[in-house]
Formats: sequence, structure tokens, C-alpha cells
Amino acid sequence: MSNTTRRAVLHGAALSALAPSMSWAFDKDGDRKIMIFSGNQAVPVLDPHVRYDWSTRMIQQSVYDGLLKYVGNPPRIIPWLAEKFEASPDGLTYTFHLAGNARFHNGDPVDAEAVRYSFERALKLNAGVAWMLKDFLKPEKITAVDAKTVRFVLERPFQPFISYVPWWYIVNPKQVQVNVVDGDYGKKWLTENEAGSGPFKLKRFDSTALIHMDAVPDYWKGWPMGDKNRLSGVIYRIVREAAPRRAGLQRREMDVITNMSPDDMQQLAKLPGVREENHPGSTTFGIKFNCQTGPTADINLRKAIAYAFDYEALITIHNGGATLMDSPFPPTLEGHIPVPGIPRKDIAKAKEFLAKSKSPQGGIELEYVHVQGLEDARRIGLVLLDSLRALDIKLNIVGQPWPTMVARGSKPDTAANMTSVYVTPIGTDPDTVAFQYHRDSWGLYYGMSHYEDKEAWAMIAEARGLTDKARRMALYGEIQKRIVADQPEIFGMIPNRTWAMRDYVKGFEFSPVRFTGEVDLYPMWIDA
Amino acid sequence: MAVSRGLRLAAWQLGRSFASMLGLALVAVIVVLALIGPWIVPYPDDVEGAVRLAGKLQPPSAAHWFGTDEVGNDVLTRTIIGARLSLLVGIGITLAAAAIGVPLGILAGTAGGRVREIIMRLTDLFLSVPGLVLAIALVAALGAGIVNAMIALVLVWWPGYVRLAESKALSIREEAYIEAARVAGAPRLRILWRHVLPNSISPIIVKMSMDIGQAILAVASLGFIGLGAKPPTPEWGAMISIARGYLPDWWWYAIFPGAFIYASVLGFNLLGDGLRDILDPRSNRG
Amino acid sequence: MLVYLLRRIALAGLMLFGLVCLTFAIANLAPSDPAALAAGPDAGRSQIEQVRREYGLDRPLPEQFLRYVSDLVQGEFGRSVATGRSVGRDLARYFPATLELCLVAMAFGMVAGISLGMLSALFKDRWLDHVTRIFAVSGIALPPFWFGLLLQLGFAAWLGWLPTSGRIGVSTDPGDPITGLLLVDSLLRGNGPLFVQCLSYIALPALVLSLPCLASILRVNRSEMVEALRADYITAARAHGVSRWRLVTVHALKNAMLPTLAIIGLRWGWMMSSTVLVETVFDWPGIGLYAVSSAIAGDFKPVMGVTLIIGLNFMLVNLIVDLLYGVLDPRLRHA
Repeated sequence: MSNTTRRAVLHGAALSALAPSMSWAFDKDGDRKIMIFSGNQAVPVLDPHVRYDWSTRMIQQSVYDGLLKYVGNPPRIIPWLAEKFEASPDGLTYTFHLAGNARFHNGDPVDAEAVRYSFERALKLNAGVAWMLKDFLKPEKITAVDAKTVRFVLERPFQPFISYVPWWYIVNPKQVQVNVVDGDYGKKWLTENEAGSGPFKLKRFDSTALIHMDAVPDYWKGWPMGDKNRLSGVIYRIVREAAPRRAGLQRREMDVITNMSPDDMQQLAKLPGVREENHPGSTTFGIKFNCQTGPTADINLRKAIAYAFDYEALITIHNGGATLMDSPFPPTLEGHIPVPGIPRKDIAKAKEFLAKSKSPQGGIELEYVHVQGLEDARRIGLVLLDSLRALDIKLNIVGQPWPTMVARGSKPDTAANMTSVYVTPIGTDPDTVAFQYHRDSWGLYYGMSHYEDKEAWAMIAEARGLTDKARRMALYGEIQKRIVADQPEIFGMIPNRTWAMRDYVKGFEFSPVRFTGEVDLYPMWIDA
Repeated sequence: MAVSRGLRLAAWQLGRSFASMLGLALVAVIVVLALIGPWIVPYPDDVEGAVRLAGKLQPPSAAHWFGTDEVGNDVLTRTIIGARLSLLVGIGITLAAAAIGVPLGILAGTAGGRVREIIMRLTDLFLSVPGLVLAIALVAALGAGIVNAMIALVLVWWPGYVRLAESKALSIREEAYIEAARVAGAPRLRILWRHVLPNSISPIIVKMSMDIGQAILAVASLGFIGLGAKPPTPEWGAMISIARGYLPDWWWYAIFPGAFIYASVLGFNLLGDGLRDILDPRSNRG
Repeated sequence: MLVYLLRRIALAGLMLFGLVCLTFAIANLAPSDPAALAAGPDAGRSQIEQVRREYGLDRPLPEQFLRYVSDLVQGEFGRSVATGRSVGRDLARYFPATLELCLVAMAFGMVAGISLGMLSALFKDRWLDHVTRIFAVSGIALPPFWFGLLLQLGFAAWLGWLPTSGRIGVSTDPGDPITGLLLVDSLLRGNGPLFVQCLSYIALPALVLSLPCLASILRVNRSEMVEALRADYITAARAHGVSRWRLVTVHALKNAMLPTLAIIGLRWGWMMSSTVLVETVFDWPGIGLYAVSSAIAGDFKPVMGVTLIIGLNFMLVNLIVDLLYGVLDPRLRHA
């Protein structure tokens, strides 16, 4: 941005702050536009092998490339740095062939060694994405066969492998290695810098205020909107409160905003020149019962609560912007089936189950824990409290910070009777969700129910290695039914993902496999 | 006779000041609301956790004078019932803090020496950290909830009473009649109880009346940060904290609970001011 | 004087150590697992254990305490488990915003407090006096978070004169910090519009933050000036035909200086701690907001850091005020 335009921009901002009626359009850099996207979450650590959450991954996806990429709805995996790959019939060996024309931002080619190094780095750091593959892939078993070919040999068959690969971003080993401090794999440096090949490069990084990225003019993959229309860059502006984000969009100081409440979205949709993007997501909201200790160890009580719960209220709270779960799996997952007979509100049935439980008249108090500060989870707690009054069960609604909640949930003895959690599946493979019900997930945040069913566990373990797709999906059908029958949780809802944007913003492409709020910035542009 | 004349004088003094009368009236209203609240509110079920999503976020109307909140509860009902909690908590914190602080302060003031040194250093330590930050840290560690909020606030509140009681005890210690009692062989505890305490009681009462207001404010502050009472308990600060997410379109939700906090804190402060003019005319704090 | 100073500094050091012990104890009351927060939601057990080792959370508490103290001595405040960032660096980044807010609030509180106090004294027992009195009590009774919301509603949402919250416009580039105080930086750069913009953002939070301090200064100034107007030398001066206005501005103001100074010392620390509320309401990126959001997330190192910084500030300012008192008031110098 040249000095004069910057000053003009500052001037505009000052005026608009004082007189909001004077609206002033998107930021400009010559003829090209800068798109301003605003959300509430900071990006404390940019390192793609250390951390991910929605805002972090949105920036990571912009400055880095993966071997493959998720796009579209329903989500598809498309070739990216790798133009093709093949898997051996035994499901152990995967060979990726690189496109070859990809370049890192400093001009170095993206070669097989860079891919090998990046996967090794992620596995050795054992943070962020590492959990996805670390039990199946050892760093020594990754080989750069030649400059354009990488081979991975897994420890044992693991069908979800490909579904995780898109989240493993490739860093430039040469840039990283010169910035290594005390053998840290460049961790310190990559916290606020990037060494990627993605469509954008980092211009300014202030983790809690704004991240400014410049579009890479000759991006190796080209620009889908054509070079003429491509943006100059994107600014991700972190604004914690909803009101200023709303005002910003209204005054055209922002082009896209997210993290708005359903009530706010309703108001925003009425504004002229504002478009709403509202799509069913893949994040599930469930209330996990403690299946091992306390009153909820009794399946009859669990069923009673599941039948007493007012599911419709979940939809009302979101002003219609949510879908009820009809299976432990969200519909975006492969192999999802609507499970027949999944509980809906039915007080007669609830009382029937309650009568069979150890406290047939109710008269007990249960604890409901949610993450402190999560407004929706708190409101749903109130709905549950109201629902349980019909069974004469009292509810103690407790908000706890994440680390406290997880610490409590790590053991059946300390886990609350009910804990509400949001879970976003990391890919489209059914194993991502199914495995949450396995014995090995006990004590992790999605395993707080300490669900126990040895046969189900065996099925889950078997399914992740099956190479016969039809058999595999059939097995997942059985797994879903089994889990629903055991009612380890109240299967709640899947909230929609929402963004509000000016109508001149083009190229927005929704994909449910991304996180809440996360968008793919690459295809977006401004038409005005 | 003397007592009633004193009382009448006090009442006359109080009545003469507009500010004090305003304070008294505000406190009286809050106390009355707290006492009879459950019998006069229009929707008593709304504080027990009734959920009426169909009627959420309704503007003020004849049916709901203060409008409704995000789950369709009547804001008027919840605000009035909230007075009970706030008042109880405010009084509770102040009493507990005084119960800890005053004996320690008198002890420090009369014992002197090492005991005094230890007590006063500890007091200084607590007074050197602005209480709210410490209270937030404490509640965050103990877990959100009204009892924990009270514990945290008592822990940061008692040192003020130590300071006050100690300075009073120090000044009284030198008085001739205490000396006389000591010479006459009265036991120390008796001297404390009979002479020191009654003579330092006025400033303590004044401080307590001011502190009830401040304690109400402090609890509401913790509630606002999200560390107050658990839902569905109606607590003013927590209500504002949630209501904030609904500004500016649903403004009534935040306005009314806040007005009640303001009114009660103002009431107790004005009353405290008035009481000080009567009970402790010499002191004049900034 | 020197001995007194050294004693005071030694005492402050002791207090600070006590504060470190206190905050450390509080932070470890929580039955939480910071390593789980640091490792991220999807982390497996081995990852959590690795993080635990990395952060030294597997060591016994006394050892953790010693390490924390030795870190503090080196100016390190530990690492936030939520973000993995150094708390010291975060504090360095957020503190200027808080400092700027407090300085502006204090300046406003002084100017408004002194002038209103003066007016109040001049018009004693008239309507202006009554209004300012109620106003003064309100300054302490108004819940800052609620008053802040009211101002946002009025000035930002309804009138649209001022921005709702934040420190700077969403698409404004403040440039690299020189002092970190945006108002000062924009002046140093000669950027008038940016200065105006920053002023528009700081106005409401500074007003809310200044109220309690303003009220105290107002009360003290009023009573000092009422006192002064009655004093003998004033009567004498008036007999010589010196105007009331001049009397108040010159003589009475001089008398009100010392108590005002004392109040500033007392209020500075309180003001810093009220920033936890005001910054939360106005989304002001300072240490108060940092403390609150960390506390809610169960991340205690930042909370400890902020408590220590505020405590240190409080002690320092009190020390300075005490010294100034000694300099300004000769009666105290030998006491």
C-alpha cells in the first residue's frame, strides 16, 4: 500500500468513526481490493504443526498448501501439491506424485524432501495435527523417492489416512532450518512467521489484533477468479465483541464477519447490501452422560433423560438454524445413516424408563457442566433443567473453564453426570467420530462418557482397518445403531455455520469439513 | 430518656439532609422488595428455570414491564428476586469481613509488638493488591458460583476493617480510662470488650453501611465477568453479562438490572454518608 | 530521608514476594489440568504428557514455585498454557494500552474533579452544589460495566457519534509502536486524523474509568475550598479587594494540592484494577481484558502476571506519592 492511500484510509477511518453515516468502501491497493474478514478468535500460534483451531487454520490454509485439499459441499478431497496418489492393495503404502511447479514464497521449489521434512516435523513435535497419524506413521517410513515422489509406509492399515492428509501443511525446510533455536525445529520462528507456498503470504502478524496477508501474484496454482479480479490481499481482523463487528459490516468497514449469534444474524439479514451465508455444519453438540459412576450409569435413567429433553428448543434457540442429530455421526460423514428410533421428546416414554431406574420417582439432583462462557451451552442447560422438572429431577448448571472440565472428565470418578461438548470431526472419514466411542478415547474430552461396550469397541477397531469399502460402511451402520441404543449421551444438534457479508463479496465456497467460522479465502474476491 | 433523645436528634439530622433521606428511601425500597419479592412478582416460576422460548426477547409491555430475556423469562420478576440475593450477599460479605477484621485489628492495636507487626504486614499485603483482580483470580480458581464469589470477596475485604479497628484501638489505648482500668487489674479481654470495642464501633458501622453497597457492586462485577451465580439463579451482574450480547437491539434486558444495582449501591452509600455525619462527624474521608 | 526511602523499598520488595506467594497459591487451587489446555482439544494422552513435561507441570509444586520465582527475577512471567506464548511478552504488548487508558482517565478525572470541586465550593448550597454532590456519590455507586454499556448504547448505537468499542478502527493501521501509547505515537508521527480517531475510541472507556477518581477529587477539593474560603487570610485578602475567583484559583487550589495528590496515589491502583471491568466492556486490548479472558479460560499464568503488575504499580505510585508528600509538605519532612 502506498503512503498516500494509507493516509487516505486512515482519514476515512477517523471520519467514519466520528460520523458513521459517512460510509467508506473496502480498502484499496491501486485497482485491487483488500478484503477485510472479522471474527472473534486470535491466532496465537501460526505454526501448522503445533496448533489448529478455526481462525488459526484459516490463516494456515491461506499461507500453506497441503498435498491434498478439501473443497465443496459435500466435501471432496482434490489434488493439490500432489497431482495424484496411489495406495497399495494392502492399504499400507501410499505414494504421492507432486505437481512439480509449486514454489515456496521465497522461490524454492516444493519438492519431495520438503514434504518428507514437514511430516517428520509434525510427528516429532507431537503437537497439533500429530495425533491423527502418529500411531500409524513413523518418521523413518516416509521417503522422498525422487524430487517429485514421496512414499509413506504405514505401520498397519489405516483407512482414514487420506482424510487427514489435507490438514498436514508443507513447510519449506530450508527456511525453517536457518531459524532453528536449540533444536526446536524452528518452532519459535514459525509461531509468527510462515515458510509456505500457499496463495497468500504474511505481511503483518499481530496475533490478537490483525493479520494482513498479501495475495501471491503468480501463485503456482493460478487464481480461480482470474488475475484481473484477484484481491490484493486479506486482512483478518480480530474483534472480540459482536456489536463492533456488526457495526463494521454495516458501515462497510468489514466485508465478511462471523461468530455472530443467531439473533444477531436475524437482524443482519434485514440490512440492505448484506448477504447471509447459512449452512448446515458438521459440528455436533451432545450432552455426554457419565456411563460409569453415579445415577447416569443406569441406562434407564439415561433413556429417561433423553426422552424428556426438549429437542425442539435446540432449534428455537438457533432461530431455526440447526438440525437435530439423527445419529452419533453428523450427516457430512461417509457412512452416516439416520438411526431409526433415536429419542425425541416423549414424556410418557421418559416416565416409563424412569420407573425402571433406581430412582423411579426422580427426586435426585444431577450436575450439568458446560464450558464457561459458552452462551449456547448455558442456554441449553436451562432447557434441560426445564425438561427435567417433568421427571422431578433437579439440575445443577455449572460453567467451568476448559482445563477444569477436561481434568474432571478424565476419570469416571470425577466426571460430571452430564457434560456438554461440541465436537468437530477433523475429516470426512467415519472413524474420526466412531473412535470417540472406543475404549482408547476414555478420558479425552469427547470420551468423557466413558462408554463401555466391548463388542462396539471391537467393531470400531475392525472398521478402521477394513479395505473393502462396502463392508466397512455397513459396519459403521451397525456401530451407529449400537451406540444410539446404549445412549451414552443426549444426541443434540448440529448448529449451522453462519457468515454475514457484503453482497459484492464473491467466490465464497462453503465446506462443512472446515471448522466453525473458517473459510477458504483462496477463491474469494470482491466485485465492485 | 437520653437514648431516645439521641435517636431523635439523629433522626432529625438525617431528615435534614436530602441526600441521606434519598439513601434511606432507596435502601428501604430494596429491603422491602427483597422481603416481599416472591409474593409480588408476576411470574414466580421464571426464577426456578422455566423456559418459554416462544416469548423470548419481548420489549417492555403491560404483561412484561421490563420485557423478557433470552429464554422468555420476565426481566421484572428476575430483577426483583435478584434483590434478595444481592442484599443477602452484600450484608453477608460485610459482616464476615468485619467479623474477621475487627477482632484482628483490635488485637493488633492493643497487643502491639510482634503480633501487631505480623497482622499489619499481612493486611498491607492484601491492601497492596487491588481487591477485584485478586477476587477474580480466586473465583476463577475455586469455580464460578455465588458462594465462591462471597469467599473470595471476604478474603479481599477483611483487611480494611483491620486497618480501621487498629487505628481506633491505638488511639483509645492511650486514653486515661483504659489506663485506669488496666491499673485496676481488669483482664485484657474485658478491657477490649468493654472499652475498646464500644468506642470504635461508630466508624465501623459507618464503614459497614458503605461496604454493603460496595459488596453488592463487587458481586455484580464478578457476575458480569461470568464468575457469579449459577443459572437459573437471578443475579444482577450475571443478567447484565448475558444481556450485553443482546445490545443494542434488546436494550431493556441490560438496562433494568443495572438500574437496580445503581440504586442499591447509591442508597447504601448515601445512607453511609449520612450516618457518618451523625455518628462520626470528625472523620471526613475523601 | 534516604533511610526512609530504603526502608520503603525493602518493604515493597517484601510485599511483592508475598504477592507472588499469594497468586501462586491461588493459581494452584484450581483442580484443573493446564496441560490439557495447552495440548489442544484433540490431543491424545501422550501429547498431553509431553506438554506437561515441556511446561514443567509434572514437577512437584515447590519446585514449580522456585522456578517461577527465578523466572520472575529474570523478568519472565512464564508461559500461557492457552496460547503457548510468553506472558511477559504479552504483558509488554498489552500494558501500554492500559497505561494510556489510565493516564487519560486520570488526567480527565483531575481536571474535571478539581474544576467541579471549585465550582461546587463557589456555589455552596446552591443547586449546582447539590447536583455535583449526587454526581460525586454516583461516581462510586455506578457499576462501571453497566454505565459503560449505557454510554455505548447512547453515544455509539443510538447517536452514532463515537465508536462502540476497541482501541482503533478496524481497518486502520496504527503503524509500529514508538511508545505504545497510540495518542502519543500519532502525535509524534504528526498524524492528526489518527490522533482524532484514537481520541474517539478512548473517550468513553476513559470517562467510565475516571468516575470514581473524579468523584473523590471533587469531594476533597470542594471541602478544602469551602474551608479555605472561610480562612482568616482569605477574609483578609478579600478585604483587600481580591476577587473571589482569584482567591479560589490561587489560594484554595494550593491547599487542595496535597489531598488531591494523596487521592491520586490511592486511586491509581484502584483504577488499574477497574480496568478488568472497563476493558471487558469496551474490548480495550489491555492487561485487564487479558486477565479476564485468561481467567475465564482457566489459564492462570497471565492472571498471576497481571496481578503482579498491578500490585507493583500500586506500590510504586504510593511510594512516589509518599516521597512527593515529603517534598511538598515541609511539616512532614522531619516526621
